[in-house]
Amino acid sequence: MKRGAILAALLLGCASGRDSGPSNDLLIVGYDREPDTMNRYATHILEDIQSCVIEGLVTTDERMNVVPVLAAEVPTIANGGVVMRGDGGMDVTWKLRPGVKWHDGQPHTSADVKFTADAILKGDWKPESTDGFDRISSVDTPDSLTAVVHYKEPYAPYQLQFLRGTLPKHLLDGRDIDKANDYNRNPMGTGPYHVVEWRTGEYVLLERVPHYWRGDEYPKIKRLLFRFVTNATTRINQLKAGEVHLVALVPWDKVREIRTLPNVRLNQVLGNGYEHVTLNEKHFPPFADVRVRRALAHAIDRDLIVKTILDGLVSPVNGPIQPMSWAYEPNVVTYAFSRDSANRLLDEAGWRRGAGTDSTRAKDGRPLAFTLITQAGFTIRENVAQAIQRQLADVGVKVQIKLLDGTAISPVWFSGDFDAMLHWWQSGADPEITTFFAADKSPPAGRNIDYIKDAELTKLLYASDRTIDQTKRADLLRQAQRRVAELIPEIFLYNTSKLDAVPATLRNFKGNPTNAGPFWNVHEWELQPAR
Amino acid sequence: MFTNGSFSQPGSTRMLTFVIRRVAQIIPLLVVVSLLVFALIHAAPGGPLSLYLDNPNVRPQDIERLRRQMGLDQPFVGQYVSWVTAFARGDWGYSYADGRPVAERLLERVPATLQLIGVSTLLAVVVSLVVGVASAVRKGVDRVATIATVAGISLPVFWFGLVLQLLFANTLHWLPSSGRASFAGGGLGDRAAHLVLPVIVLAGAHAAGWSRYLRSSMRGALEQPFIGAARARGVSDARLATRHALRNALLPFATVVLLDASIMASGAVVTESVFAWPGVGSLFTEALAKRDYTVLMAFLMCGSAAVALLSLVADVVVHALDPRTREAVAL
Repeated sequence: MKRGAILAALLLGCASGRDSGPSNDLLIVGYDREPDTMNRYATHILEDIQSCVIEGLVTTDERMNVVPVLAAEVPTIANGGVVMRGDGGMDVTWKLRPGVKWHDGQPHTSADVKFTADAILKGDWKPESTDGFDRISSVDTPDSLTAVVHYKEPYAPYQLQFLRGTLPKHLLDGRDIDKANDYNRNPMGTGPYHVVEWRTGEYVLLERVPHYWRGDEYPKIKRLLFRFVTNATTRINQLKAGEVHLVALVPWDKVREIRTLPNVRLNQVLGNGYEHVTLNEKHFPPFADVRVRRALAHAIDRDLIVKTILDGLVSPVNGPIQPMSWAYEPNVVTYAFSRDSANRLLDEAGWRRGAGTDSTRAKDGRPLAFTLITQAGFTIRENVAQAIQRQLADVGVKVQIKLLDGTAISPVWFSGDFDAMLHWWQSGADPEITTFFAADKSPPAGRNIDYIKDAELTKLLYASDRTIDQTKRADLLRQAQRRVAELIPEIFLYNTSKLDAVPATLRNFKGNPTNAGPFWNVHEWELQPAR
Repeated sequence: MFTNGSFSQPGSTRMLTFVIRRVAQIIPLLVVVSLLVFALIHAAPGGPLSLYLDNPNVRPQDIERLRRQMGLDQPFVGQYVSWVTAFARGDWGYSYADGRPVAERLLERVPATLQLIGVSTLLAVVVSLVVGVASAVRKGVDRVATIATVAGISLPVFWFGLVLQLLFANTLHWLPSSGRASFAGGGLGDRAAHLVLPVIVLAGAHAAGWSRYLRSSMRGALEQPFIGAARARGVSDARLATRHALRNALLPFATVVLLDASIMASGAVVTESVFAWPGVGSLFTEALAKRDYTVLMAFLMCGSAAVALLSLVADVVVHALDPRTREAVAL
């Protein structure tokens, strides 16, 4: 008995050995997954940890503005950084910020920019994406701080070409980058932090570098610890217990629990993504009739869904480009919730009620019934799917819900073997939507899984991709958005707000709408000293 | 005097023959298992690249390029043959998820899992011995134990783990909710505190099942004529239970514990993911979600080999302890 009591005391005593609250010495992040690699070009998941170590020539801020980091300025036509060549190509001149050093003290130069483009073009390793790089013919380095990137053809998202940074030439030249584990596990960067320890399955510990180029006062927080906690409920429990201080991308259905925590603040920004119902007109031909698509849009009460299921955390949207984008078009056709309009349109389209035994509409003996697939285990989405099922039943449209796990669902939609899907797209800061709506971008060429084929829309989209001047490109994209709204190839539901739970005393945390992630300005984060 | 048949061999030789024969049976079994598992994993919808599809910034032509670079465009048979020949040579390949050697990824996770399973097994054995014996001989204890064990068997590991976190970490603040150690702590006490909740969850279900098993084998033993005879000779109840009945019941109990170790491992998969425990189980969950074929294959092959070996060990133990089984097995 005595021994038992000692053991119990010992165990309970350990609770005092728990990590303390957030401070400028240590901030603990509860992170949903372990990185695959620290190489930003090779990783295929979010780059939050990496972006504390490796900086891009630019980054995108909380309003999706492109801001220079290792570049002295963002090249544009106006500032002479972009020149359209007579042969149809374009030259982009990147002026690098002087005085920036890699963590080993070597200067960061235009040779690193050239090395990065060359390495990705060479194709003897596995970068995640070669987008844009495959249009580069060569890179010139007239001086150590100037890199001129020659494109074979216009490439509108050129500003984000080096968002993921540069690869250190002096470290990686001549090596198999896939196997360069010294770099891939502990990368050489120019950022405010470097990797001190990566304990597999447990955490990555980052520590401030001594002389960060923005000045010795940055970063304000000495150490960042990213703890890997895959299970969302466990992650929130850790936040509640104070074992982690910050949880990025809180699932919407956990918000109520977090709101009650006194030491935690929820930071919300709009997300550059939109939840929608894809209507696959190739697989379910009734969707090819625009009246049917418009009727479905009228039949769904988005305000009710947002208010009841999502606690008003998100706002309805009417198109694929989100409000904070410079290309956003607010004046588009909208489809207000109206069962009368929905019924009228379906009647017009020849889908009559009462033909079958139930109240499902039918035409030529075929019922207006389809299967809606969505991701299993995503509670909010399962609830929204049920709401849609219920609301469409009210206008005589029968929906069967099929839940598929996260890994299983991708090959299904990519093969086009589904009627309708409830899901989102989360994009980078560039407003390109060609891959979703151009006629020739259905899989395997792209992600047009509505299988919409509209000549006018396709023309506008390709024209916008070739237009470098932002004002002119915005004009084309605005026309495209108006056309998308008329066609309503998919039912737009709501913006995917990004919610991060941060310590109430954390200053300068701004969030990020894109997958560039909220750590883009980590150098200026600071905990307010305790009063 | 017997001069022919297996009884002429010395005991140790007979045991050796038995072990060799059983090991020889395991190898073809593992080959068949590998083919089945490989086929099943590859038949599951999605692949190592399917999560890339969800990112609109990765173009399909990039995914196609990666598929070629990873050799995933090869026909199934070719992929299997190259995997199985390399695996047999000890080359377990590289993880599709992070490009590191599979053996390295598995081995670095083994200590955490062994720790969790080891402590849980120990606790479950002790608890089930006490509860099993007590409920076999005491009616009152049995009633309470029945309720507790039914609860123990029925509680989903997943749910039970989260409830314990809520209670002991979030409400009472007695124990850490999850993880293997605090960042600041990491001492012996801190590590022990982190073990408590996952061990309770993992041991709980097994202690419940095992104590029921021990109880019924004890009951069975207590009804044997020799117990009645011993009682008639005046042997005390306590001595009857521990010296006679328990001794008889221990053999099947030990077998069940050994065979259940594989089920313990599968319980550890869920427990580890709920408690963010950095073991092989959470690696498996992660690999499954990412369809990390090479890691999954290595995990499942090691698991199959372990199950086969454990059942061999169980047989050997029974063989060694119980003379009645020897002839039947060896022949």
